[in-house]
Amino acid sequence: MKIFYFEFLKLRKKSRGWIGPILVFVLIMTAFPLTVEFLNEDLDQAFFSVLWIALMLVMMLATEDIFLEDYNDGSLEQLALKNQSLALILGTKIFIYWMLIGVPISFIGSFYGFGITRSFDLGLNILPILLVTSYIFLNVFSFGNALSLTKGSVLGTLITMPLVLPLLVVLGKVVISINIGLNYFGFLALLLGILSIIIVVIPLIISFIIRAHLE
Amino acid sequence: MKTIVKATNLSYKINEKKLFQNISFDVDAGSALHIKGGNGTGKTTLLRMILGISKPTRGSIESFAYKDICFTGHKNALKQYLTVEDNLILLSLNTHINLDKYLTDLDLHNSLDVTVANLSFGQQKKLALLRVFLNDSDLIILDEPCVGLDSNSQQILCFFINEELKKDKCIIFSSHIRLDIEANILNLDKL
Repeated sequence: MKIFYFEFLKLRKKSRGWIGPILVFVLIMTAFPLTVEFLNEDLDQAFFSVLWIALMLVMMLATEDIFLEDYNDGSLEQLALKNQSLALILGTKIFIYWMLIGVPISFIGSFYGFGITRSFDLGLNILPILLVTSYIFLNVFSFGNALSLTKGSVLGTLITMPLVLPLLVVLGKVVISINIGLNYFGFLALLLGILSIIIVVIPLIISFIIRAHLE
Repeated sequence: MKTIVKATNLSYKINEKKLFQNISFDVDAGSALHIKGGNGTGKTTLLRMILGISKPTRGSIESFAYKDICFTGHKNALKQYLTVEDNLILLSLNTHINLDKYLTDLDLHNSLDVTVANLSFGQQKKLALLRVFLNDSDLIILDEPCVGLDSNSQQILCFFINEELKKDKCIIFSSHIRLDIEANILNLDKL
């Protein structure tokens, strides 16, 4: 619980770290209808593509310096010395990022879905998908940033980008299912399955990578 | 006396350059080890091996400490954008019974609401050393703890270390400055 509180305190005081990505997301989602045509009736056709790509880009942005600051100031070194599991600490850190960035963005995304498609059900249906997907993205991009900790975040993003592309395919199928009224819970279960593996495996891998960087 | 750190035939090579080889030492509870040597002789590397962060090229090192190791190194592990008080919360020291005493001794008691970025280098070092002064460890490792400290703070640190030794704690430190601490000396220059 202490780690949870400490990470929350740090991120709360470093507001640019979490407000920035949320504002970028709002900006993209607001600018999108303006660039097509404000009253275009087919706006919702392209909406979901923009939504998923915006979500991916913003999660990428949010994890840009997730470990870098702690690495530079020596905090990661101190964490590695604790008897507590480093993987657990890092997993908690990613979870806090999701709470402060992923969750608000999911609600905002759902709200935009409702606004643009004018369908309350659709807006509500994409909320769990957004919540799960944002958490998966955060984990994957955190892994990339750990890999390129001392080499800049662009390299890490390039390495991990191929990992999230299949996810975009699944997200496309989800939207088709929702639009034609099919049951989309199978896809949601698939995403939850991916998430359940990722939240265990990725913090563990990141902890090994960080120990290697510290050495 | 119980051995806390045991190193056997330690060697370390970086880019084919041998930093040190075949170092062996034991550090018991209630005793201190002062690692000396010029720049680039491997003092920090040796300390990082004791911490378990770096691995020796050859040999082995074992730590028998039960609790978390207390360590301060070149990096202070402080959050520059947080106040002194927030940093103390992050270090879980804000409710420590001796906090006020050391804040007063180190002249930090008036800086609780100051952002760490606005503290001088020496003040930041003193804040980082609070982790040592308020420690709950049986093994304390200090890498150049006196860098940036004024003479009064150095005296407080030496007095504190001597008191900790009386409590059977094991202390390993590197320092260029001669400190008034009874310690075995490991001189990496002479190896």
